[in-house]
Amino acid sequence: MEEQLKFYSNSPHVKGRRTTREIMLNVCIALLPACIMGCVFFGWRALMIIALSAFSACAAEIVYRLVMKQPFPRILKEFDFSSLVTGLLLAMCLGSQVPWYVPVLSAIFAIVVVKMLFGGTGKNLVNPAITGRIFAFLSFGTIMTSGWVIPNFASSSVVSGATSLTALLKDGTMPDLLSLFLGNVQGCIGETCKIALLVGGIYLVIRGIIDFKWPLIYIAVTGLMSVALNKFDFHYFLPSVLSGGLILGAIFMATDYTTTPNTTWGNVLYFVVLGVITAVLRQATGIEIVSFAILLMNLFVPLIDKFIINRPFGFKREKKVKEAK
Amino acid sequence: MKTNFKKIAMDGVITSNPTLKLVLGTCPTLALTTLAMNGIGMGAAVTFVLICSNVFVSLLRNVIPDKVRIPAFVLIIATFVTIVRLVLDKFLPTIYESLGLYLPLIVVNCIILARAESFASKNGVLASAADGLFMGIGFTLALTIMGASREILGAGSIFGVHLWDFKIEFFAKSAGAFFTYGTFIAVFGFVSYLLHKRKKIKSFKLSRLPEAAKEEN
Repeated sequence: MEEQLKFYSNSPHVKGRRTTREIMLNVCIALLPACIMGCVFFGWRALMIIALSAFSACAAEIVYRLVMKQPFPRILKEFDFSSLVTGLLLAMCLGSQVPWYVPVLSAIFAIVVVKMLFGGTGKNLVNPAITGRIFAFLSFGTIMTSGWVIPNFASSSVVSGATSLTALLKDGTMPDLLSLFLGNVQGCIGETCKIALLVGGIYLVIRGIIDFKWPLIYIAVTGLMSVALNKFDFHYFLPSVLSGGLILGAIFMATDYTTTPNTTWGNVLYFVVLGVITAVLRQATGIEIVSFAILLMNLFVPLIDKFIINRPFGFKREKKVKEAK
Repeated sequence: MKTNFKKIAMDGVITSNPTLKLVLGTCPTLALTTLAMNGIGMGAAVTFVLICSNVFVSLLRNVIPDKVRIPAFVLIIATFVTIVRLVLDKFLPTIYESLGLYLPLIVVNCIILARAESFASKNGVLASAADGLFMGIGFTLALTIMGASREILGAGSIFGVHLWDFKIEFFAKSAGAFFTYGTFIAVFGFVSYLLHKRKKIKSFKLSRLPEAAKEEN
């Protein structure tokens, strides 16, 4: 009993059979369709990048724990698959044209600096995969944003060198919606095929891992805000929702447990502001900005959790008594 | 009063290194460590100003009234910064260009004011000059090593000599500056902790703690 009393934890004290390992494995399963479709569209090179990123993320965690002199059986026992999820997500938002060192270095940065230095799973301040992508973007900017590989089944009209999002933002050209939806466009490995991402998202919702409200709010707010910024031209809604990494970010990255607020209204605020920031920054900079927007809002999560708190059971707010005049 | 030059030297370079232990003068550290050469240029300028201002503050320490000491210190420092600026502009225009805004900002550099306030206004001329010299050396070393590592990683060269084409531009940007600075503080703290442990010298605070507790009782 005394041993138990020494252990303190934060408020949700609900016990259940669901473990971190099970949740993370479910997320991995949900990511599989997007991985497979990425390999179908972009070939063996995409598979190599996914494997490298996932492997180096897991290896980075194990090596970090070994350096910190943790015994090896304990490492294996405590190894939840969150590093694997981080590695997969990171590979999802890299283009298949990048050289081998980009996924390796970004995965190591994501795991060691963002996750392990802050204390491991559940203690990170920001989403590791997002930060890994931003590290890659800042470090290897020209490699990351140029030389997109043309997908295997693309029609000949596809122009090399620009994603549909940059074309939409800079010249206002409307992309072909069907090929956007199926993933037959240039872009990062995992974020082009929207149908595979949606299948993964539906799987997660059915397993009760994410709440379907939050990705929907995020996507809807971003789309409506883009429409509003373009003089209420509703032709902009679908292209701005379907292009870029918005759906990947909304389903898999913004809904990360560690980096979302605890309360319902906190979550509403978080996802609405996230959508507004994404749309405005996209319009202002002309590049894909979902990762930066999520990183920015991740940093506000402790603040939201501080100011928006659930009403304690039985608590009544004191009524303001008007002073008699 | 006998001055302990060995202690002053150890203080300046290692035990209270201005950049890595006192965390003073962060603004030029973060902005200028993109290149190793910047570190040497900035370090030399700061060292010169630090020695001269320490000497003059120490000379005038009994003359300056206590209430107006900060304006007086700033006036002394600004004089020497102006000298450094004019000299660099005339003889080393490339370094003058690369240091840019951060050269006049030496006037309000925390290291120089802190040393004037906490050391030079209480100690003799010779000790103050030595303190300025070693503090400057500590600052220069920290900036140069940080600059060299950021230059190798971020630009693939060292002291302007091209090494290889592979570069991680993250380290050349401001995010990389904060990251490198934090890493260096951590590594420096860890190494000095190991050195202390080996020599069995307890750090100042730890050795003082039991005594303070006794006095209170």
